[in-house]
Amino acid sequence: MGIKFNPQTIKKLRRFREIKRGYYSFIILATFLLLSLFGELLINNRALIVSYEGSLYFPTYSAFHPGTDFGLDYPYETNYRQLQQLWRDTGSQNWVLMPIIPYSAFENDASSGIFRPEAPNLEKEHYLGTDTTSRDILARLFYGTRIALVFAIGFMLAVYLIGVAVGCAMGYIGGTFDILSQRVIEIWSNIPFLYMVIIVFSVIPDAFTIFTRILILLSVMVLFSWTSMTYYMRTETYKEKSRDYVSAARVLGASNTRIVFRHILPNVLSTLVTFMPFTIVAAISAITALDFLGFGLPPPTPSLGELLKQGTSTLRTAPWIVMSAFGTLVILLTLVTFVGEAIRESFDPKKFTVYK
Amino acid sequence: MMKIHGWKLLLLVAVTLLVACGGSDQDDGEARDNTQEVLDFYAANPELFTFATPADIPADLVWEDGMDLPEIGSPEAKKGGTFFQPIEDFPPTLRFVGPDSNFSSRSWISGFYKMTWALPHPDGGGYIPGIAQSWAISPDTKTVYIKINPNARWTDDEPITADDQMFALFFYLSEYIQAPFYNNHYGNEYTNITKYDDHTFSMTVTNAKPDMAEFVLFLNPVPQHFYKELGTDFPERYQWRYEPHAGPYFIDDRNIDMGVRIVLERKRDWWAKDNKYWRYLFNPDRINLTVIRDASNRYEAFRAGNVDIMTIATAEMWYDNLPETDRDVANGYIHKTTFYNDGPRSNWGLWMNSSRPLLDNVEIRQGIQYAANWDLVISNYFRGDMDRLNGQNQGYPDFTHPTLTARPFDIPKALEHFANAGFVNRGPDGILVNEQGQRLAFTLTSNYDRFSDVFTILKQEAIKAGLDLRIEILDGAAGFRKLQEKQHDIYFVSFSPVLSMYPDYWQYFHSDNAYDDAFLDDGSVNPDRKLKPQTNNVQVVADFELDQWIEEYDRSEDKERMIELSHMIQQRHYEYASFSPGFVETSYRTAYWRWVRWPEGFNYRYTTYPYELFVHWIDTDMKTETLQARAAGRAFEPHIKVYDQFRKP
Repeated sequence: MGIKFNPQTIKKLRRFREIKRGYYSFIILATFLLLSLFGELLINNRALIVSYEGSLYFPTYSAFHPGTDFGLDYPYETNYRQLQQLWRDTGSQNWVLMPIIPYSAFENDASSGIFRPEAPNLEKEHYLGTDTTSRDILARLFYGTRIALVFAIGFMLAVYLIGVAVGCAMGYIGGTFDILSQRVIEIWSNIPFLYMVIIVFSVIPDAFTIFTRILILLSVMVLFSWTSMTYYMRTETYKEKSRDYVSAARVLGASNTRIVFRHILPNVLSTLVTFMPFTIVAAISAITALDFLGFGLPPPTPSLGELLKQGTSTLRTAPWIVMSAFGTLVILLTLVTFVGEAIRESFDPKKFTVYK
Repeated sequence: MMKIHGWKLLLLVAVTLLVACGGSDQDDGEARDNTQEVLDFYAANPELFTFATPADIPADLVWEDGMDLPEIGSPEAKKGGTFFQPIEDFPPTLRFVGPDSNFSSRSWISGFYKMTWALPHPDGGGYIPGIAQSWAISPDTKTVYIKINPNARWTDDEPITADDQMFALFFYLSEYIQAPFYNNHYGNEYTNITKYDDHTFSMTVTNAKPDMAEFVLFLNPVPQHFYKELGTDFPERYQWRYEPHAGPYFIDDRNIDMGVRIVLERKRDWWAKDNKYWRYLFNPDRINLTVIRDASNRYEAFRAGNVDIMTIATAEMWYDNLPETDRDVANGYIHKTTFYNDGPRSNWGLWMNSSRPLLDNVEIRQGIQYAANWDLVISNYFRGDMDRLNGQNQGYPDFTHPTLTARPFDIPKALEHFANAGFVNRGPDGILVNEQGQRLAFTLTSNYDRFSDVFTILKQEAIKAGLDLRIEILDGAAGFRKLQEKQHDIYFVSFSPVLSMYPDYWQYFHSDNAYDDAFLDDGSVNPDRKLKPQTNNVQVVADFELDQWIEEYDRSEDKERMIELSHMIQQRHYEYASFSPGFVETSYRTAYWRWVRWPEGFNYRYTTYPYELFVHWIDTDMKTETLQARAAGRAFEPHIKVYDQFRKP
């Protein structure tokens, strides 16, 4: 963006850094997001490096290697943990370097042979235990959270793009367009969003890939959520439009585009930014709720909602499932809320009042 | 005060008139009477509907009344109490036939209570009377004669007469009911019904099959007085009207709480209440069916004592959630029983739609069979408590193929079959891809949420054979609709078998139930054929030769030949490979609160569910006692029993 931050904004950013709780929450979230982009290197059942007969393999991001590639007798994906064990036991020259948590979110790894939840076990590297079909909970939580976060950020960006564009247009153009748009938005926003998601999602052909399905889910949610943003944008734009500097710019011959993007938008940014974290919280809650209800991502996609659902049905026998899922959700939402509060406070013009 | 102007009044009248004229002329909301239409139909089909006099009944018939078999239920049974039962979905309709009427809670609405003329004794050994008082079978004339119990009444207290069976034939042949299966079945199987007097009739079947008596004895009459308004709008008109039947429970409109609950009430003056076989059955005064969609919520409702009986499907539930050490079990508040039953088995498995792209290739279907790791599911998920199912029709003595066994999980064989279908190379994710770039991926749909873990295990194992299964779990009604409309790739389900001597192949394998005009006259495939929805041939099996066998099997009156044909049909179905047999339960496990009482021996040989015969009763005194003891921490003797009197070695 070509927007140059004005001294006001820089002051606000500095103020944000001073609010330690929100600032550190932001750092933690950003770190997690960054780490999760390379999650396959941390939590995965594919090895980081395999050294076999003098050549090195890096299976993490490459095409799959059948067992036959490493001298095993099966044509399907190599089980690198077993391979590592085998080569260690036989004192082989070959070696395998596994990620810190050597499980994927999908494979069943039952120590007793029976698929059932197993309690956290440091020795087996199941740090949070396993779920009802003996899948590693930490792996499922990690990838589930990643999907939820990326989804929420995508949701936020899309909602803002539409909300800001429409709201700004309403405020700036005004007149009949404003009145008509307002009525349309009022009608549109009265359509119950959760039901629409459920209805639309139930008629999507199942042949689509999981990624496409997530995109469709995202667009449906965006379609029914952008309206609330327009109200704020409209008022803000109205307010800024009547300010002298806008008139001055117009007198100088600035085009409408220039006025909107160069003058109005940077000045209403503060309002927008304060809402962002709360939009993210709403998106994470919505996707988790949908998964919990079984209308979200199809199994076996890892998700917080699905783990919560499992947890409620194994409340008595495997409390670690619900504890992990619930704990993660609480931490995640708390961190985002902290960031949100810090932003709101730092953008508050009354600096020396305490926000309660 | 608002003043209505003249022109406004005119407008109002016009609108009202328009509304009144709208819709079809059938949809008038007024009472109709089709008595004349029915009589005209009888008159137009004199060979099918005959009116005779009692003098026309052959004198040499041997009449049976089935009164020499053992009683059912326990003499200790007490009437009374309310039986609380959760249902997964609210019924989409209260009709017994027509669109959407084949829903999951249907047995609870009608199936368990609706009476037939006669029925098999649940321990085997012969037929016992239902609405019939006695019956006579004449194989030479392919006719079954029935004398109706003169006391028999519909739930609305109208008497049951021979006219109701005549009307039943009209009803099931009628296109109004939008149920092609019934139209076909009744059209093909019955050649005549003769009324001798109000309580005597006979029906003639097309073929004198070894079990021809069941074709008539197991019929339900249909209350003619209730269907006076039958017409093209049948599905809507009768959507929420509960058909009277001969059984002990009925649904009053005030007991329907839409989407939430249905309560059935017992008729205190039920006509069969003192009958030898019926007096100890149907004991609760009320049956409270409450919708609890989620399996874990149903379980919690049971643990809270809000549900009386819980059938336990998964090993996890049986061993981990409700172990013998659990407080409620150890203190004897909750009882656990395992009951070994007998008879045709539920066929849990993968039903493949062979009309879908790729699945229309037999090599692909065979490959999928080898790629389905049921053995792992059975040993590691069900903990060895289930057996592998070997075919779609297991448990019919003689008629089940003696040597066919399910294909094991075998990756090399699966890969070989997939390779034959052009899937040789694996993509970057390990899934096979053909030369056109198609991935070997199918959707595995089911409405059985409680088996979702099974699907994820199957999915993970199938990846090893280069097959991708996308899992889709729908709710009961939506899933079943998808199946019946044949929009699925692969569906996990079981069709409850009917307790009969031999399996029915026509509805599952005959091309009549797969396509409209599947074949041209010379047996070649009709290029313009269209899928036929709403039938049970969900594998879309259409094989000209198989059709001939099934037709011969259905016509045959020679048991030996039928057995031979049955084996041929099963062999062909095995080669067609559209059904991957899953697992079979040879017993059922039940957990129930102490106040639910059962006869000695717990249940009967040919039962699939503990509650289906309603031999249990609710002991209300015991309920109070148990709840008080539980609150006070007083313990009873724990009750964990295995009933294996019908177990096969």
